[in-house]
Amino acid sequence: MGSVFAAAPLDNSLSYSFSQAPNAAASGIREHSFYPYTDNGGSTLGISGADFTILAGDTRSTSGYNINTRYAPKLFKIGGEGPEGTGARIVLSVVGFAADGDALKERLDTIVKMYKYQHGKPMSVAACAQRLSHILYNKRFFPYYVHAILGGLDEEGKGALYSYDPVGSYEREQCRAAGAAASLIMPFLDNQVNFKNQYIPGSGEGHALEQRVPAPLPQKVVEELVVDSFTSSTERHIEVGDGLQMMIITKEGVRETYTELKRD
Amino acid sequence: MSSPFAINGGACVAMVGKDCVAIACDLRLGLQALTVSNNFPKIFPFGDVYLGLTGLATDVSTVSELFRYKVNMYRLREERQISPQTMANLVSSSLYEKRFGPYFVSPVIAGINHTTGRPFICGFDSIGCIDFAKDFIVSGTASDQLFGTCEGLWEPDLAPDDLFETISQALLNAVDRDALSGWGAHVYIIEKDKVTKRLLKGRQD
Repeated sequence: MGSVFAAAPLDNSLSYSFSQAPNAAASGIREHSFYPYTDNGGSTLGISGADFTILAGDTRSTSGYNINTRYAPKLFKIGGEGPEGTGARIVLSVVGFAADGDALKERLDTIVKMYKYQHGKPMSVAACAQRLSHILYNKRFFPYYVHAILGGLDEEGKGALYSYDPVGSYEREQCRAAGAAASLIMPFLDNQVNFKNQYIPGSGEGHALEQRVPAPLPQKVVEELVVDSFTSSTERHIEVGDGLQMMIITKEGVRETYTELKRD
Repeated sequence: MSSPFAINGGACVAMVGKDCVAIACDLRLGLQALTVSNNFPKIFPFGDVYLGLTGLATDVSTVSELFRYKVNMYRLREERQISPQTMANLVSSSLYEKRFGPYFVSPVIAGINHTTGRPFICGFDSIGCIDFAKDFIVSGTASDQLFGTCEGLWEPDLAPDDLFETISQALLNAVDRDALSGWGAHVYIIEKDKVTKRLLKGRQD
């Protein structure tokens, strides 16, 4: 993910998710360039359940091989009051270019607050999701360089999760990983959340074999999957680590947790 | 896009269990996005040792034939089977011989050493640097995905049948997230006195 501008979409060879700026001219005419984007690394993840949604992200911020900080949150409460975002029921996670992520969060937060003042009721997650898509597409030709995931509870109280590409294409899903380690986490989630490639033993031969049907997972199981996903990614990806921030959205509100990850 | 390692696609993984090892590969052969064949195995048996090769398909064939010749010559001279450790050093030195014009392959070795009785796996880069691992080795265009699934599913001291389930799920779910790999799989479960080869169907897209 996050490689919409990469020249080689099918190149899956060993490489990092950032690229060196090719600015070397021998002599004579000197070319100056300004590239407005940086990849700040890290990964995010969201899983929805029957009556909850969990969003998670590591807190490391990188540029190239450098670590900017070990605590830069990628999870933001949307539409809450005061600096703590009290009373918020929607959470936005952004990974990619952190400055764009911050700007996007600020825009969406303002819009959701304005909606409440104008209509006298909180914005539904479905409405917020569509609005976020419009905000992203409005910058179609100078995009917010982020992969966003929006989480909350729908109007029936079920867990709702929406994922976006940088220009606003979006979809409601059960689970989604984004960012540097998305390629590591996503196949694991396919298997453990949607039970892909799992069959009911003895249910038939060959094509008659029945697929294990996905059902919403209990909150505790999901929390364990999230932690496992991030400890695994920390082990194998240099841009992931330091800390794991989780936001658990239930009808009681948003609960935030923080756990340490390896700092190497 | 034109990396020789990613033209034909393919994936391979090896894992250690309790007194057993497993090695598995996908069956796809492609030319960029076009699938040419769905029966192109990437694991080659050399007596007790199994060699997995991903990367440029022409080099996969060339290198497997080269080692068939070299391992046969070893057997004739030594009048015994080659051990996994010796095979690892043979692969390493053969690849480094081509240091400045390498074969575009990422080899994986799995086997049980019949002198010590210990399981052995290792991987290489294209110029022969050996990666000795205690847990698992991945290679191919789905290596990122395989790192994720293996790191999430693998645990120490798995029995042969549990190891089969683990390596199969790790490979199948990894290749389903890679456009250049998949189309079925071969899985070998290697025990001291028994080798089981299974063919997995997997998604055919």
